[in-house]
Amino acid sequence: MPRRRRLQTGVDWIELSTTTADWDRAEPDLLLTMLGQLHLIRAFEEAVLELAGEGLVHGPAHSSIGQEGGAVGSIVGLRSSDAVNGSHRGHHQFLAKVIGHVSGGRLDVGSLVSPRLQAVLQRSLAEILGLAQGFSGGRGGSMHLQWLEAGALGTNAIVGGGAPIAAGHAWAQKHAGTDDLTVNYFGDGAAQIGSVLETMNLAAAWKLPVCSFIENNLYAVATRADEITADPRFSVRGQGFGIPSWRVDGMDPLAVHLAMEEAAELMRGGGGPTIVEAEVYRFFHQNGPYPGSAFGYRSKQEEADWRARDPLERVAAEIRRRDLLDDAAVAAVRDQARDAMRAAVAELVEDDPDAAGTRRIRPELWPDPARVDAGMRGDARELDGLPELEPLAHTGAWTETRFVDAVAGVMDRRMGADPRIIVLGEDVHHLGGGTNGATKGLLKTYGPDRIIGTPISENAFTGLAGGIALDGRFRPVVELMYPDFLWVAADQIFNQIGKARHMFGDNDTVPLVVRTKVAMGSGYGSQHLMDPAGIFATAPGWRIVAASDAADYVGLMNAALALEDPVLVIEHVDLYGRSDRVPSGDPDYVIPPGSAAVRRAGNDVTVLSYLTMVQHSLDAIERTGVDAELIDLRWLDRASLDWETIGESIRKTNAVLIVEQGARGTSYGGWLADELQRRFFDWLDQPVERVTGGEASPSISKVLERAAIARTEEVVAGLERVRAGMGGA
Amino acid sequence: MATVVRMPAVLAGSTEAALQSWLVEEGAQVSVGHPIADIETEKAVVEYAAEAEGTVAGFLVPVGENVAVGTPILVLADPGESVEAAVLAAADLTGEADAAGPSTATDAASPEQSGAPEPSEAPEPSEPRAPAEPAPDPLPTGPSPDDHGGRRFASPIVRRLARERGLDLGLLRGTGPGGRIVRRDLDALREDPAPEVPAPSAASAAPAGVAPAPAVPVDAGATATSTDFVDVPATGMRRAIARRLTESVTTIPQFQLVADIRVDALLELRGRIAEQTGAKVSVNDFVVKAVGAALRDVPDANAIWLDGTIRRFERADIGIAVAVEGGLVTPVVRGVDRMPVGALAEAGRALAERARAGGLRQDDLEGGSFAVSNLGMFGTREFTAIINPPHSGILAVGAAAPRAVVVDGALAIATVMTVTLTADHRVVDGALAAQWMAAFTEHVEHPLGLLL
Repeated sequence: MPRRRRLQTGVDWIELSTTTADWDRAEPDLLLTMLGQLHLIRAFEEAVLELAGEGLVHGPAHSSIGQEGGAVGSIVGLRSSDAVNGSHRGHHQFLAKVIGHVSGGRLDVGSLVSPRLQAVLQRSLAEILGLAQGFSGGRGGSMHLQWLEAGALGTNAIVGGGAPIAAGHAWAQKHAGTDDLTVNYFGDGAAQIGSVLETMNLAAAWKLPVCSFIENNLYAVATRADEITADPRFSVRGQGFGIPSWRVDGMDPLAVHLAMEEAAELMRGGGGPTIVEAEVYRFFHQNGPYPGSAFGYRSKQEEADWRARDPLERVAAEIRRRDLLDDAAVAAVRDQARDAMRAAVAELVEDDPDAAGTRRIRPELWPDPARVDAGMRGDARELDGLPELEPLAHTGAWTETRFVDAVAGVMDRRMGADPRIIVLGEDVHHLGGGTNGATKGLLKTYGPDRIIGTPISENAFTGLAGGIALDGRFRPVVELMYPDFLWVAADQIFNQIGKARHMFGDNDTVPLVVRTKVAMGSGYGSQHLMDPAGIFATAPGWRIVAASDAADYVGLMNAALALEDPVLVIEHVDLYGRSDRVPSGDPDYVIPPGSAAVRRAGNDVTVLSYLTMVQHSLDAIERTGVDAELIDLRWLDRASLDWETIGESIRKTNAVLIVEQGARGTSYGGWLADELQRRFFDWLDQPVERVTGGEASPSISKVLERAAIARTEEVVAGLERVRAGMGGA
Repeated sequence: MATVVRMPAVLAGSTEAALQSWLVEEGAQVSVGHPIADIETEKAVVEYAAEAEGTVAGFLVPVGENVAVGTPILVLADPGESVEAAVLAAADLTGEADAAGPSTATDAASPEQSGAPEPSEAPEPSEPRAPAEPAPDPLPTGPSPDDHGGRRFASPIVRRLARERGLDLGLLRGTGPGGRIVRRDLDALREDPAPEVPAPSAASAAPAGVAPAPAVPVDAGATATSTDFVDVPATGMRRAIARRLTESVTTIPQFQLVADIRVDALLELRGRIAEQTGAKVSVNDFVVKAVGAALRDVPDANAIWLDGTIRRFERADIGIAVAVEGGLVTPVVRGVDRMPVGALAEAGRALAERARAGGLRQDDLEGGSFAVSNLGMFGTREFTAIINPPHSGILAVGAAAPRAVVVDGALAIATVMTVTLTADHRVVDGALAAQWMAAFTEHVEHPLGLLL
């Protein structure tokens, strides 16, 4: 008979509810402010639904009516420097935060809407309608509401997608020495998605002041919570991650407030993350002005029971009971809120002259379609004034180094000069500088707060770095051990980091560097051996650099670390051990975007390549005797490519060969070939030729791996194809 | 299975031709060797005979329109096959044939082949073309989208440079994949101003394609709705003349020698022959005969320039310019040097008649090293002629007329004819030309030798 002992997590999990005494003890200002916020949010949401019913809201209108208590209760006690995000249903949290910001935390119910608040309500509605005066110029809309000044980080349309970013913001708050905190809002439907769970783990491991606020409204669209999880009390997650948790009735704003006060005290005191679960109810369906019962997944009786617990009524009843306001005064609060929204709506819509009885958006308020792509990234002016050096033209002394030592060396130099730079990744703090030595010696110099080993959860730590970058007080460098892991972190890399600046109306900068290494030839097989350049080049927002030698690496990394944009730095395992050299002296120079290197001048064909394929191309050119002009691209993304050097070469050679190593499908050259043939059609003498690997991802077997990738021999074959295309025979 | 008949390369090296007329009707049975069409090239009309038997199922090109060699022109149904089935099958066949790649005769009609198609972009071999799928319009009224309708492929940079330099791409032979004209073909032109001259076997054929685009854009006003002029599309012959003579003057270093020749003796001899034998021998026949004799006397002049080599001839084959409706042609009389003048006259007359009737054969037009152009019958006193490539010389013959001459220091009257030799300096230097002209003059002024 084995001995059995029941284990305990030792982690608090508290159900909190209010008593009359709590209501009696509550500050009148607090209760009145909550009443005012509740009514402002309710009136706002009613206006949105009314406009949606008229077809004036393009896209979904996820109403928060019924759920206001959770947002108001949890936010009313926060500072402007505390932060909140929000999910696809996030109007109420955004509004609670921005109302709190412009009202200094307290509302005067006798004069509810100040001019400044009126302006904020109108801007919020304008954003939801997609109009230029919105907080993000209409680009974000209902699901991407952001006002950084008010501590509203941006609501998020990817379920759970905001969690790592919120944790990153909390990381920055903590390491900047503040006792501010961040609240990450999500619903019951998001409570089991990877981003959320990975983030809970990271936040607990690193004691980050972030609250996972679970708005449990019982339905993920039409799916009941108890259909999708064994214990639908979602705050139970805290037991698994060691996070103290509270469970409250979200229709009781005071209960939410009190739970949040306890959680905040813990977080501000360095106790790490918390979870607050509030059970709430949305009176309408997922989207639009109809109740859920209309769609058959819940009953009218259930809806009536919940409506009887409307948080607006609850707070009003307690206020009346305490004689803080009479019925008429409560009604006046509601009237003021409605009037404010009527005024806001009137500024944005007008009677449609072409269709009597209907309204339309005021045409002059739309954003300028010509600006559709503006603000995807910065203009790189942050590099102005930095020392530039072109290694090809360097006439001074050189210092011998291994490539990988130059990688660690330039990071050391920058971290020493800029205390904002931090490095995150798996094992970056162990093994003598990560799996390849690229962070060698950095832990000893900069300590574990700046050289941060992560759990194996790429989505969370990449997204966390994204949150740090968006905050701006620190500049994270993320190491993805292998490029294929980008798919694991894909939501954060592409949906969040790459899109953030543009999506939020060019109000954000995202100074983030992701380093990764191409490992083709190392035998790691189908899930480790991609070249990520093509995927990043075809996704918005990213800049990409790839150095073919150490001197370039230094200049490109310095530029990457100085830019306010996300930059992917691609390395290659074949380069790490290479005996190389860098210009002697301090490694502070930058090689700015638009600086391709002509490695060999020639007349017959322009070979465009990067990374290790530059050397393979040189070898192949020598072997074939083709008089090729070899251009090392260095910067690979659309915005940073050196179109001038490329164009000059193509106008001379009239032929192009794009050389890369990896699999064809996700390859880099596809979009480039497309761009080249349109830009330079009249200068081409033959189709743009390409060298790539095979269609499949490279296999483990040595011979199959060799067959799947491109090296010198494949470039030789490519040059011969170009030669055949030259004719003249 | 249906048979697709394609536009034949009736002239070696030619890239397009027109269907002058059908010699069969739809539904007709044809056997091998049965004439089915008259095909008109730039210079000749050729009767084209069936190479397979079957029932005429459908005509694929309109009469009179130039199409690329290799373009499907006719569908023959096999015995037992319905006309509709044959047409459907043919639509499929033409698709397959187009994908089969270039061949010498159908360069211009071949689909463009990029040097080495990437494997992943190649069609899956396991997916055959579905013959059941109806082809888009199996009986097109013009060239089907699958053929290239006489297009010649040139790379974008070549088209750009040709535009800038005012070059006619029709003068070039493409050496790129699928016959594409590539930059190096233009570069070669710059380094060596001589264009690629076709081999003598294809002498009278266009060096390459037809490229109707003019080297110099036509006056933009030509497209306006003016009533002051009409635009007439140039015939194949006119385009060939335009191209070949432009090629001649722009690529051959030509120079002229002029001689005044007394023809009293020749005229007297001609009169006596006519009087005594009844044979009709023209002055021009004697001129041609004398040209042949002079080429025999000065064999170095009986040669042509062939892309870096000089080809010498044993025999004197001489082209005679014949004005025809809408242009001129230059059929070649062979072995003039050995031919009795009467036979020469006969042969020349026969060729001229056939030329005027549009009945010259390809071999009538090929070869030769020299040509004679005579405008004497129009009273023209003297003129210069342009060499007809690949010839190295042409003699422009003016009218014979009484002129004042000085004989032994005294003024006299003689019948004099002015001839102008235009020579290709690459083959014939001035001294050689003078030598030849002296020999020619000798033969004309002492014509009895021509009868030997």
